[in-house]
Amino acid sequence: MGSLNSEDDQARFASVVLPHLADAYALARWLTGDRADAEDVVQEACLRAFRGIGGFAGVNARAWLLTIVRHAAYTWLGKNRSASLVMVDDLEAVEQQQASGGGAFEQGPQTPEAALIAKADARRLEAAIAELPVPFRETLVLRDVQGLDYREIAEVTKVPIGTVMSRLARARRRLIERIGTDEPRGAA
Amino acid sequence: MTPTDPRLLVHAYLDGELDPAHALEIERQLADDPALAAERERVEALRRAIAEQLPREGAPPGLARRIEAAVGLQGAPAPARSSSRPSWRALAASVAVAAFLGSGATWLTLSPAPPDADMIVANHVRALMATQPVDVGSSDRHTVKPWFNGRIPEAPRVVDLAGAGFPLVGGRIDVVGRTPVATLVYRLRQHLISLSEVPGRTIATPERQIAGYNIVSWTDDGVAYWAVSDVAAADLDAFAKAFRAAEPER
Repeated sequence: MGSLNSEDDQARFASVVLPHLADAYALARWLTGDRADAEDVVQEACLRAFRGIGGFAGVNARAWLLTIVRHAAYTWLGKNRSASLVMVDDLEAVEQQQASGGGAFEQGPQTPEAALIAKADARRLEAAIAELPVPFRETLVLRDVQGLDYREIAEVTKVPIGTVMSRLARARRRLIERIGTDEPRGAA
Repeated sequence: MTPTDPRLLVHAYLDGELDPAHALEIERQLADDPALAAERERVEALRRAIAEQLPREGAPPGLARRIEAAVGLQGAPAPARSSSRPSWRALAASVAVAAFLGSGATWLTLSPAPPDADMIVANHVRALMATQPVDVGSSDRHTVKPWFNGRIPEAPRVVDLAGAGFPLVGGRIDVVGRTPVATLVYRLRQHLISLSEVPGRTIATPERQIAGYNIVSWTDDGVAYWAVSDVAAADLDAFAKAFRAAEPER
């Protein structure tokens, strides 16, 4: 049990990072919107994780890796889709405003039936999720697609748990409205 | 902060994140408020639709290989991966349980305790990452066994398996549920085997593999034994057989 060397790092990497590759890829794909780009992001994130493996505290490997993947994805978005990241600041401002203003909750013009929502197919759901602003999208994906709990999402996205809850609620409400109003009959 | 908007809280309620008091309050409001009940139904329908329509896909097959090559792992034994994709989340969940400290959100409840097998695997993973996988390092069972005296109620059964190819590395205290238990560490070539002994516990679901780690569990004399390792399942079976067949030296 000597000091860390490259083989120890590799063994740790294999046991800490590799088991969560599918989760890493899923988050990267939802953030970049593209499979090939997601692979690049995950590969970059894994290299960062390998270099930083000594700093992993050994508690929640998945949340730790997803934090790095999210960071890598944001870097990628900043280079390639900077328009999508402008939204982040705006949303934060809106959220803070709403929080200080008593947490007004936007109510859509239309509240579709649950039965209509239940009938949404994969393509419609994917499209609606892809349209969500990044902070809402990542929160929803981490919870409803990847199954993280609120505390893990708070850790990965670096916001308080209350913000996770309000973002999740808003993301779901947007999806519900989108699926409810965007009638599938004429949709291409 | 304590969110009070029931249309926000209904999400946390459906996600199982509310403490019992707030959950009861929401249930009361759901019974009284048809609009809130309708919102709950919509959210449930959405979550169901996502779960059914958007299944998680695995990473592309070439990705893991490229990453292993990039960090120099190609050809090396990769303990925690291989053929076990579906069970990765089980390990993640178990490792996650210990993770959450002080978020200050009093309206949240704690995650339920994971099954024993998950905790046993989590202990093993934790031990592999620690500076040392044992609290007491010795290949002499007469050193290892007394070390547990005074630390846990019952000293574990410690046998010498060096002759069978599994030399003793040492022992440590693990925690299963909230109970400190004795874990012995044996070695097969370069691979470690954690053997946890949990008195008075039954084995509810005999898992064979979690997150790529093989598991063998059995019960002897009212003690549940769990062996966890990245060695092949057949090697772990051989280890379990050798351990059970070794003469008792209590």
